[in-house]
Amino acid sequence: MKTWKKFSHIDARTVEEASSVLRSGKAALISGGTDLLGIMRFEILPTHPEVVVNLKSIPGMDYVKEENGMLRIGALTRLEDIAKNELVRSRYTALAEAAHRTATPHIREMGTIGGNICQLNRCWYFRNPDNRFNCFRKGGQECYAWGGDNRYHSIFGPVKLCIAVNPSDTAPALVALNARIRTNRRTIQAEQFWEMTVPGSTVLAVDEIVTEIQIPTPAAGTRSAFNKFAIRKSIDFPIVNCAVMVGESDARICLNAVFNKPYRAEKAEGFIKGKRITESTADAAGAEAVAAASVLPGDRNKWKIPIAKTMVKRALLACA
Amino acid sequence: MPKDKNLEGKEVSGHISRRDFLRDAGLVVGAPTLGTISASAAAAETAEIALPAAAADPGSQPEFIQIELTVNGDVYRRAVEPHWTLRQLLRDQIGLTSPKDWCGGYGACGSCTVIMNGRPILSCLTLACECNGATVETAEGIAKAKHPIIQAYINHNAFQCGYCTPGFVCTAKALLDRNGDPTEADVRDALGGNLCRCGTYQQHPLAVIEAAGNLKESA
Ligand SMILES: Cc1cc2nc3c(=O)[nH]c(=O)nc-3n(C[C@H](O)[C@H](O)[C@H](O)COP(=O)(O)OP(=O)(O)OC[C@H]3O[C@@H](n4cnc5c(N)ncnc54)[C@H](O)[C@@H]3O)c2cc1C
Ligand code: FES
Ligand code: FES
Repeated sequence: MKTWKKFSHIDARTVEEASSVLRSGKAALISGGTDLLGIMRFEILPTHPEVVVNLKSIPGMDYVKEENGMLRIGALTRLEDIAKNELVRSRYTALAEAAHRTATPHIREMGTIGGNICQLNRCWYFRNPDNRFNCFRKGGQECYAWGGDNRYHSIFGPVKLCIAVNPSDTAPALVALNARIRTNRRTIQAEQFWEMTVPGSTVLAVDEIVTEIQIPTPAAGTRSAFNKFAIRKSIDFPIVNCAVMVGESDARICLNAVFNKPYRAEKAEGFIKGKRITESTADAAGAEAVAAASVLPGDRNKWKIPIAKTMVKRALLACA
Repeated sequence: MPKDKNLEGKEVSGHISRRDFLRDAGLVVGAPTLGTISASAAAAETAEIALPAAAADPGSQPEFIQIELTVNGDVYRRAVEPHWTLRQLLRDQIGLTSPKDWCGGYGACGSCTVIMNGRPILSCLTLACECNGATVETAEGIAKAKHPIIQAYINHNAFQCGYCTPGFVCTAKALLDRNGDPTEADVRDALGGNLCRCGTYQQHPLAVIEAAGNLKESA
């Protein structure tokens, strides 16, 4: 059985304190720990944090409330609490459904929304224990998935030579719902939040901490939905997921697990805007969404393209 | 009421103050690596907390953090290393072996499930040092309290080898604590993170729904 590399642990008392410890560059933030502890225990990265800084010891970061025309969710709010929240279910449906379809009940009881959107990307070479594949994403010289088994990888090509996908279920819902991510420094539009770094998945600075998610309350008559395709109904990461929000003259469609970051399907949005959603218009929107998709060497991820098309179609039909 | 009937925890040793860590990590006033220092980090200097010296030198002596938690109604005080999981604490220090290790700590099987502060959680992905003040319930406690879920599992043969059973029982009990009248769909949803290699899945909703009925009757 794998043993742990040692580290130290601090219960932060304020966000500023946590941030100042992160500034050393030798620390990692822990919320629910469901992603971080796997990464640390299996030593998937070439370097290991010397200190783990606990955010859960900071009071008042766990809430869901609607005020000033927006929904505000504290970064430490557990996914299960978001999934079960009546307000979220009724008016921000795509997010409630995304939270409900994430991982397992246990991981939803532990995992936070802040951790969910900051989790590292998925690629089985990248995630292999003991840093067996020191790939581009870890500062190495090679992408092992490019010529290897890339059946779960990007259908919209590489970003800086990396074809790993962002696996978050809540991320596409936040993009579709036009959310903003608040940190201890600034407010970031959800769409601008994700970016490939080594080895990270967000634009956050080393000492930056997500504190709140804000979602503008949708106009009356707006509907949203989320759909996920995974191997099993529970436990598994998305092969493809999709969230949509449709208003009278507006439509936002976002796929995930298809690219390095959540992929907004703008052509499909343009197509469906103002149209009545029917079997055939939803199908055509799905086709628009994957019009720019491409297959990786070996054709192994080709199967994801029709799935992505169907996810868009079904999510749209759920809003009809 | 502390009740140290099982294995003794290690002695607390080598605590350093929060101030020492912040200084060693270059985070306090005057450290060359840092231009500004936040008010709260400076304020943090004054407080003494149990903090392992390994912060400054990870290769040094094992360091322990003192925690106190309630497990199945009994209070335990233990010194834990930062990397210990809750499962390790329960099994190796407190002597409760119902939280199992099946998937190896990937969070993918549910065999290590315990109930912490009312939530069914994975003890393999929970740091013991973050459980200070927590209330934990394991399958041992659920059985000792004669919760009807146990007899219902027996009645419906909801196990074969039994390895996954403590995890299922904890998850099911947490469901019943919140929802006294679950439908079959509710049960399947709640147990969706527990795997059973022996394939006893069909029996679990029967057992959980029977237990819910018995709980209502006895209420
Ligand atoms: C078996 C298994 C299945 C899973 N399935 C899914 C799935 O289907 N869909 C899905 O979306 N996810 C899945 N996950 C991934 C993920 O662990 C959870 O979804 C969870 O939400 C992560 O949240 P956390 O609070 O546990 O994060 P943590 O593990 O605590 O943190 C994750 C990362 O984010 C950073 N971080 C945490 N909080 C903040 C913050 N406030 N500000 C800045 N950075 C922060 C941490 O430093 C770390 O790098 C799965 C995980 C496992 C183990
Ligand atoms: S041991 Fe498998 S989930 Fe904890
Ligand atoms: S009874 Fe054997 S694993 Fe479930």
